[in-house]
Amino acid sequence: MKKGKFQLWMKNLKNFWSLYKSTKKGVVGLIIVSTFIIIALLSPWIVPYDPYERNVVQPFAPPCSTNLLGGDDVGRDIFSQIIYGTRTSLFVGFVAAISTTLIGVFIGTVAGYFKSLDSILMTFTDIVLVLPGIPIMLVLAIYLGPSIWNIIVVITITNWTGTARIIRSQILSLKERAYVDSARAIGAGNVHIILKHILPNTIPIILASTILRVVNAILSEAGLSFLGLGDPTAISWGMVLHYAQSCGGFSRGAWWWIIPPGLLIGVVAVSFTLIGYSLEAVFSPQLRRS
Amino acid sequence: MGMKDYIIKRSIFSIIAIIAIFIFNFILPRLMPGNPVLFVMGGIKLMPETREMLIKRFGLDKSVWEQFVAYTWRSLHGDLGISFSHYPRPVTELIIKRMPWTIALLLPAVILASGFGILVGVIAAWKRGGKFDLTVTNVGLFIWSLPFFWLALVMLLVFAYYYPIFPLRGAVTRGMEYANIFDFFRDWLWHSTLPILSLTIWNYAGYALMMRNTMVDALHEDYIVTATAKGLSDRAIMFKHAARNAMLPVVTQITLSLGFTLSGSIFTETVFSYPGVGLLTYDAVMARDYPLAQGVFLVTAIAVIIANLIADVIYARLDPRVRY
Repeated sequence: MKKGKFQLWMKNLKNFWSLYKSTKKGVVGLIIVSTFIIIALLSPWIVPYDPYERNVVQPFAPPCSTNLLGGDDVGRDIFSQIIYGTRTSLFVGFVAAISTTLIGVFIGTVAGYFKSLDSILMTFTDIVLVLPGIPIMLVLAIYLGPSIWNIIVVITITNWTGTARIIRSQILSLKERAYVDSARAIGAGNVHIILKHILPNTIPIILASTILRVVNAILSEAGLSFLGLGDPTAISWGMVLHYAQSCGGFSRGAWWWIIPPGLLIGVVAVSFTLIGYSLEAVFSPQLRRS
Repeated sequence: MGMKDYIIKRSIFSIIAIIAIFIFNFILPRLMPGNPVLFVMGGIKLMPETREMLIKRFGLDKSVWEQFVAYTWRSLHGDLGISFSHYPRPVTELIIKRMPWTIALLLPAVILASGFGILVGVIAAWKRGGKFDLTVTNVGLFIWSLPFFWLALVMLLVFAYYYPIFPLRGAVTRGMEYANIFDFFRDWLWHSTLPILSLTIWNYAGYALMMRNTMVDALHEDYIVTATAKGLSDRAIMFKHAARNAMLPVVTQITLSLGFTLSGSIFTETVFSYPGVGLLTYDAVMARDYPLAQGVFLVTAIAVIIANLIADVIYARLDPRVRY
């Protein structure tokens, strides 16, 4: 029995991969994201300098062969900061996307399945949804203080609403299916029905939306860090831009300090978006045919 | 359910949302370790008498319920407390002073972005699958994925540093005397072109993509076939028949996206050192000026909720098909 299940899994995975492979954009996105993940994992070993060490290069030095992206106002190596920043930005992106999804799925499922809780939970969701994103994140962040984990908490608190709405609408339709009635007829409990019969059907949607949440989280982290709420002990791309803006990058015209971090954020965000759209296309047969 | 019931329902939701914001703003400082006075003072050792005085001064010796009622009452009367970083000026006064500058940025940016976005969306949908459509969609997607403030930074670097066509910072030249109002306006426009442009780009992509999608849907409707059969020109079909119907959701989206636009103005004003509410927010964050940051949040959140209510009403009026 167990073995059969495993084989089925492998077969599905193979099917999925052959479909995914055919989406050109999805493959490009996957290659770029994998490259950045490898850079992030290896960052402590591939940085040429300690990103926090001062005076390894002349302050405001333009790019040269030893310092590919020059130096900042206190002579730290910008290239090393950006390599290290990959790690922080991706870490926050993934962890915040996963926690956002967990909360969204939980609230969406409860609201969709239990009719009595639906209106109160959805009113709550709608309230969080209308609140202006950046201002509420700023207020939360200044109270919590600058740390990676607090940034993740802030992003999670403000970003789960989209997932909750999608999952709720899925659950509403899934719980009316005949097999759910059958399960209930033979005495299955609510938790069993939700975990074994309903949620597994939403996994494709959850996966695709998690990937798109990563984009959101990376951009939010960059924004918060740029506004000076980043963790000073964990440099990120947004923080490099914050220093460039507040420590005289402009009066020196230091393009090497300003252009690269934002471009990288954009490239990574686009790649994740491409993966997300390709997953949606693979999982939804309607889109696949067209 | 009729239109009246729908509007009443939306109004009740808005009131609940505003109450929720008051509760959030009230609870947040009280959730912090210690009591709000100690937390805000950031570990500074206070004389016991000073501490007592501060606790009494801010009413922290009263019950939580009394405090909440007092807080809401004061806020509704326009008293949002005293700013720490601009001590002793009241938060309300600071926000009101900066408001016109921000509105002067937002209004032209929203008008330009929606006009341009709708036009581009219509043409892209009309030639869907073509080169123009693909370019618009892909560029739109890329703009969406870029950190918005970075676009503003690059614009500043290129057009104010390398090609100094525009000034590096501010909304007007410091200490300048103006002969007349037109001189003042010209100086402001010179300073505001880049901020307005960057806010326009920030909003444009969303409107263009949305307009394109609703327009594509509209072009599949039967009345388009009828219009074509009647022998109308492409132009007439495109603008008079399809675009007018497809525009409805986009029009409400313009009102709905006020929160999004306001978020954008925080970044724009920070990058260009433009003295509006957005820069005030940034300064409040940098100075950990809690009353000011919370005051700005309260005002923007209420503005966004009211904009949402207006959007709901407009939509219901414009589109009788709306399912209440």
